[in-house]
Amino acid sequence: MISLPGLNLASQPIEPLNVPTSTATRTQDLSANTEYRFEVSFSRTLTVKLQSGTAEFFGTELAPATTYTFQGTKGAIFTWHGCKLEIGGEVESDYVAEETPMMSCANLHFALENLRDKSVSSGSVEMGPRVLVVGPENSGKTSLIKTMTSYAVKSGRQPMVVNLDPRQGMLSVPGSFSAAAYSSIVDIEEGWGSSPISGPSPIPVKMPLVYHYGLKDPEEGKAFKPLVTRMALAVTSRLEEDNASKQAGFIIDSSGAISQGKNGVYENIEHIVSEFSVNVLITLGSERLYSDLARKFSNQVRDPSESVSVIRLEKSGGCVDRSEEYMKALRHAQIREYFFGKGDETLAPSSQMADFGDLNLFKLVQESDNAEYRPGDYDASSSPIYEKITPSAALQNKLLAITTASPNERQEVIRDSSIRGYIYVADVDEAKKKVKLLSPQPGQTPGNAMVLGSWPEDIPGLVS
Amino acid sequence: MSLPAAEVAADFRDALQDLRLNSRPEISNLTLIAKENTEYAEAISTELENHIRSTRPEWKLPALYVLDSIVKNVGTPYTVYIGRNLYRTFMDAYLVMAQDTRKAMEGLLRTWKMPVPESMDPRPVFPADVTRDIENALTKIRAAVQQQVQRPQHALPPRPPTNVAWRDTSTPPQNLPRYAAPNDPRARPSFPPTTPQYGPPLHTATPPMQYQQPQQQAQPMSSIDLADLKSEVTQLISTTQTMFAHNHADLALRTKLQALLSLKQILDTQTLPPQQLEAVRQQIRALAPPPAPSTPVYPPQHTLPTHFQPNLPSNFPPVTAPPNSAPPNVAQLLAGFRPPMQQTPQPASTPNPPAFNLVDLLKRVSSPAQSSSIPAPAPFQLPFQGFPPPNSTPMPIPQAAAPAPSSTPTASLATLLAQFNKPAGAPPMSQPMPMQSTPVPQFPPQPNTAPPTLGSAEWLLKALGSVPGATPAISTPIASQQMARQSSAPFNVMDQIELTTVSMKKPRLHLISRLYEAKPNICATCGRRFESTSEGKEKKARHMDWHFKVKDPDAAKRGVHRSWYMPEKEWIEYKEVDETSPNHTSNDSNNSTSSGAKPKKQAKDRYVSVPQDVALQQAPCPICQEKFDTVWSVEANDFVWMDALSVGGKVYHATCFEEYSKGAGIAMPGTPDSVLGKRRAEDAASVNGEGKKVRAF
Repeated sequence: MISLPGLNLASQPIEPLNVPTSTATRTQDLSANTEYRFEVSFSRTLTVKLQSGTAEFFGTELAPATTYTFQGTKGAIFTWHGCKLEIGGEVESDYVAEETPMMSCANLHFALENLRDKSVSSGSVEMGPRVLVVGPENSGKTSLIKTMTSYAVKSGRQPMVVNLDPRQGMLSVPGSFSAAAYSSIVDIEEGWGSSPISGPSPIPVKMPLVYHYGLKDPEEGKAFKPLVTRMALAVTSRLEEDNASKQAGFIIDSSGAISQGKNGVYENIEHIVSEFSVNVLITLGSERLYSDLARKFSNQVRDPSESVSVIRLEKSGGCVDRSEEYMKALRHAQIREYFFGKGDETLAPSSQMADFGDLNLFKLVQESDNAEYRPGDYDASSSPIYEKITPSAALQNKLLAITTASPNERQEVIRDSSIRGYIYVADVDEAKKKVKLLSPQPGQTPGNAMVLGSWPEDIPGLVS
Repeated sequence: MSLPAAEVAADFRDALQDLRLNSRPEISNLTLIAKENTEYAEAISTELENHIRSTRPEWKLPALYVLDSIVKNVGTPYTVYIGRNLYRTFMDAYLVMAQDTRKAMEGLLRTWKMPVPESMDPRPVFPADVTRDIENALTKIRAAVQQQVQRPQHALPPRPPTNVAWRDTSTPPQNLPRYAAPNDPRARPSFPPTTPQYGPPLHTATPPMQYQQPQQQAQPMSSIDLADLKSEVTQLISTTQTMFAHNHADLALRTKLQALLSLKQILDTQTLPPQQLEAVRQQIRALAPPPAPSTPVYPPQHTLPTHFQPNLPSNFPPVTAPPNSAPPNVAQLLAGFRPPMQQTPQPASTPNPPAFNLVDLLKRVSSPAQSSSIPAPAPFQLPFQGFPPPNSTPMPIPQAAAPAPSSTPTASLATLLAQFNKPAGAPPMSQPMPMQSTPVPQFPPQPNTAPPTLGSAEWLLKALGSVPGATPAISTPIASQQMARQSSAPFNVMDQIELTTVSMKKPRLHLISRLYEAKPNICATCGRRFESTSEGKEKKARHMDWHFKVKDPDAAKRGVHRSWYMPEKEWIEYKEVDETSPNHTSNDSNNSTSSGAKPKKQAKDRYVSVPQDVALQQAPCPICQEKFDTVWSVEANDFVWMDALSVGGKVYHATCFEEYSKGAGIAMPGTPDSVLGKRRAEDAASVNGEGKKVRAF
């Protein structure tokens, strides 16, 4: 079917072959201010089509008469005005919820809009809102941020989103930190959308700046804080260059781990707040976290322009605990998507061979907790970050981050350098000293420093 | 104590409490806290000293490692704050330590006498005189222990050599409750590990001074030639010494000399931030003209234990051993090593105060200079200050005008330098300025100070502080065209939304219309909404065009792949593109308005997709031999080389080729290699042409 602009004839996404497609669809009526919550496993698909009314998926409006396909998703379709959905495929579970936190989301959005308007009327001298969202795992941080981002885009803004959660990637693979400005609609099926590909993309691509963290948890290792600092520097520099982004401000997604704190001290949260000059701190769920942070930041007001508003939002009833199994599948899906694309956007990564000598590999040194401080140790923080390694069979199925730094740079430089992308080690031939790599892009393997982290874990069978 | 300082100190203390083992991560962490809070260095140092003093003996060593790590990794100002009590901090801990941990402490001390490893700075971690005292004390103790070894005693604490007969009592003498500890610290639970005091209570814990380091906000100043400053000081010292030689009785001279020597020592051993150096320099300049010592009237002098241990050959009475027959203990012995100023407090009116507050000194030395109508020292002033220098008429400073030094129990470099921040020639009625709290550096208050006006230094500072920038009062709203519409929407409804938890829960369903009804025109393909204005319609039309363009049936054949991410620098400069913005579908108007530059622009606007072929990717332009700039083009939906042209399998800069072709009479080929088929000519012209470094808008 030819799709012509204006003719509402969007092509049906091609159903993956491995899924038994049930052609039967049913209609689901939603009354105003309710949401349809669903969980779809990675082996099934759910199709949703808006028949009448309005509906939104984490803030992004469903286009009328477009069929959306969900796979391996736990999500909710909310309606402010009531709607009728046509639903097909199979789900693990689904239900309609009457109580949603969407009003709070909308209020938060309009409160942020206030701040953005202030920035606009100051002639971009003031910066728009700097928002950090914290809360335990599975409390709906990313969902809230997606909603905020979508609403802001809808209101004609260009918000920046910063992801500091290594468990989930944003426009990149897990284990990375990224930042991107959203000037166009947030994709519904692909999560955050897609980073640039060499061809046209049905949804405008997003331009992320990506750093490699390579660990599961911000609390382990010492690379977290320097990377946060580096990211903050890049983001603020960008905002100084770009008025539209400066007015819209930014929203930071964080890992649940930093919200645990030690005896009520949330070091990493404080670090992010100070590095990014956060002025709106949203806590999701946990009362304790809210009260600790509210106390901390209400005491600190020295200058009104530095004050931090701490807000607690209710955790949505739709938040489900995502099992480790699901999270793993999600990570693998993200990695697969990075190389091969998703849905009807199929990418062709390039498979290539490289000599051991071509790879400049650096492995994160795992810090052991019982390491002793040695007097006369000069720099407690300058113990090596990386060790140089030669390829071995252990490398198989790992992801390597290709930095923009030359392998001869100082280790701090390598650590702080943004990355060009990831390559996957498909096979290691120790006898011939050859490595088989999967690179997103054809061409020579870059001679830059490559960093191997312990996160994400091995991804067996990405290339069969 | 101001709140932030108290809070930081409390955080630091909490973290310290948990430190029970020699754990590298924990120590690194504490060091990091110290490093990130240098403005609260004094509070943190005090916390650390208190902790080392009060914690259980077996936990002292890790805490000392924290100290070590901080002074080595952070350095000043911690070396200053910790250095002044180091003797006590160290020896207190040493005395209650088990033997093996003492070894570790001695190891620490050794490293403190050396420069920080891998550092460019050749000076030792702590100034030599600080470590020398400790070293001497340790030597004594070792000697004492040596003696001890000959005694068949059960594990006894090291005792000093004594000229009094050793009384082999099973309990320590009652009058000396702070007797040195037995070797095994665990064996003495009844022994309060807190604050053993030696001799006169000289080291009453210093009330933490709140001192915001001025350099925190200071702009980097023109670098000061430290060497110059040092030589100035040296010169001043020698002149003063000469004068002192002629006039031994002159107190002012003597105190001045003392102060100068201390200052020199500080300069020699510490790294001072440029601003402080500048302040010092100003003061030195002011001192340089020989002051006419007109018998100054000193205010009643308190004995202030100075920690700038002036290493003057002093003629103070040597410390004599306690006259009574109580067995001398280590503590007393050690007290003997202290610099001589720890004498019993002198009567307040004593004409010969044994110890001087350096601040006091410099100030006092400078005041006679002023009163003798020598030009007043230039007040400390940042170079970029917008206002005229304070009046230059010399103004004798009445003693009262200076912040009462007697209220400052400890002389510290901080106070000294904070002092310099004050206007030397300020009107006498000026209040002693608070040295803390305000994050803005203190400037000399103008005689009739107005609130920071536009262009004033304070304003400038704020403005320079970039991030949540100060709003200049005059800023007229310059709304960018896109945002203007948004902000013109009714505000008042939204103004009610406070950023509070309670406010978030209030239902405000009327607002939702702003997300939907305000933009009734929806794109059926992706759900993007547009306003029903004519502008909205134009946008939607362009948006639909874009949808059409990206539905490229050939894309799949080309083998689409993920591109590399943008490098940091490019990303910072990158501007997002809105497919609905007018300038990228048509810039005919641009071309017609700048018709003179038209042909050039067209050449520059040509682009080719970055070739897949690696060899070609690396190849420069064959004409100018320069590489191509890779940018992202929304038009092509690909990374492209702008100002490029593919001719016969080679890629040239379009502008280069144009010039070449003009000369050779070759016709310019059309832009090949576009994904966009029939629309390409128009598209090629439409890519925002603002020179060679075109970004995708």
